[in-house]
Amino acid sequence: MTTLEILLVVFVGFAGGLAVGTGFVAFLVVLGVIPRLTQLTKTVKRIHAYEWSAIAGAIVGGWISLRHPVWQLSKYWLAPIGLLHGIFIGMLAAALTEVLNVWPILAKRIGVDDKIVILLMALAFGKVAGSLFHWVYFVDYFH
Amino acid sequence: MANTVFIKLRHRVQVKPEALVTLGQVAQIAATDGGLIRRLKAIPLYRVQPSDKNIVIIDMMQVVRAVLDVDDSLDVQMVGPSQTIVEVLYEKRRFSTVAFILVWLLLFVGSAMAIMNFHEDVSMQKVHRYLYEVMTGQSVDKPLLLQIPYSFGLGIGMVLFFNHWFRKRINEEPSPLEVEMFNYQQAIDQYVILHENKESMRQLDDA
Repeated sequence: MTTLEILLVVFVGFAGGLAVGTGFVAFLVVLGVIPRLTQLTKTVKRIHAYEWSAIAGAIVGGWISLRHPVWQLSKYWLAPIGLLHGIFIGMLAAALTEVLNVWPILAKRIGVDDKIVILLMALAFGKVAGSLFHWVYFVDYFH
Repeated sequence: MANTVFIKLRHRVQVKPEALVTLGQVAQIAATDGGLIRRLKAIPLYRVQPSDKNIVIIDMMQVVRAVLDVDDSLDVQMVGPSQTIVEVLYEKRRFSTVAFILVWLLLFVGSAMAIMNFHEDVSMQKVHRYLYEVMTGQSVDKPLLLQIPYSFGLGIGMVLFFNHWFRKRINEEPSPLEVEMFNYQQAIDQYVILHENKESMRQLDDA
């Protein structure tokens, strides 16, 4: 490879990373998961630490997926990681229904303002049940 | 010196069909003379008609005119919102339990399908297997040790976002859902204030 080719590849890689990184941040900002977490835990002052945690997570994740390291850790580490992973995706999913304004319209249209929490539970239980079904049973037949 | 009355319209009031809306219902009144307040409160403003459907707007100017009709020596000072939204409450049609269960099941099944399609869409099974291999050095077909906690985490994350467990304990701020319902109601109120109030817009062909 000539120096020019190397520079070109570095440039393309950097530009691609920049585009994906800004997209990731924009997604997090639109859905407002981090402000929600600071509000729940009353740690608004630490919001910069949370920003860095998202950035560090993205870098570590990128490194793991591109470099394929092998760590030989106990498999039980996967359980807490799975739980955190699920909570994060669950919050993203909840935030998405909020951004799309699903609930107020649903409540107005079918007139169930007082029972909306029960309907919210339907969504949460549906997610849990669908996900368990998928991993335990469905993957055997689909892949 | 003229008697000064302060009138503050309420934002939203509920009435029965065919009701006679009086000033006392739609506004708070302050004046030095108690008898005057009682008289003003009884001023009829509007008789609800079936053609009104469920929203009527009482405009500030309408109120001023009605008060001056009763006593034109009064100095009327309007404060607060410039109109009241009168909501006519008809007999609520009961939302049947069967329909409710149907909606519940619709959301439950739809949500389950959506998450399964999402998993396939982002090839999550592959990612989970890969992560299992990175962490333990062994490869397995079904990394359930990661996936079962993940599944429960999904539900916890959704509930956490909507703030239903921690409501009383962690903070008394409204949940995002409550804020969202409030914003939606505000937008509707803004709309009806402009569109149901014949005085607020004047078109070219109006007299």
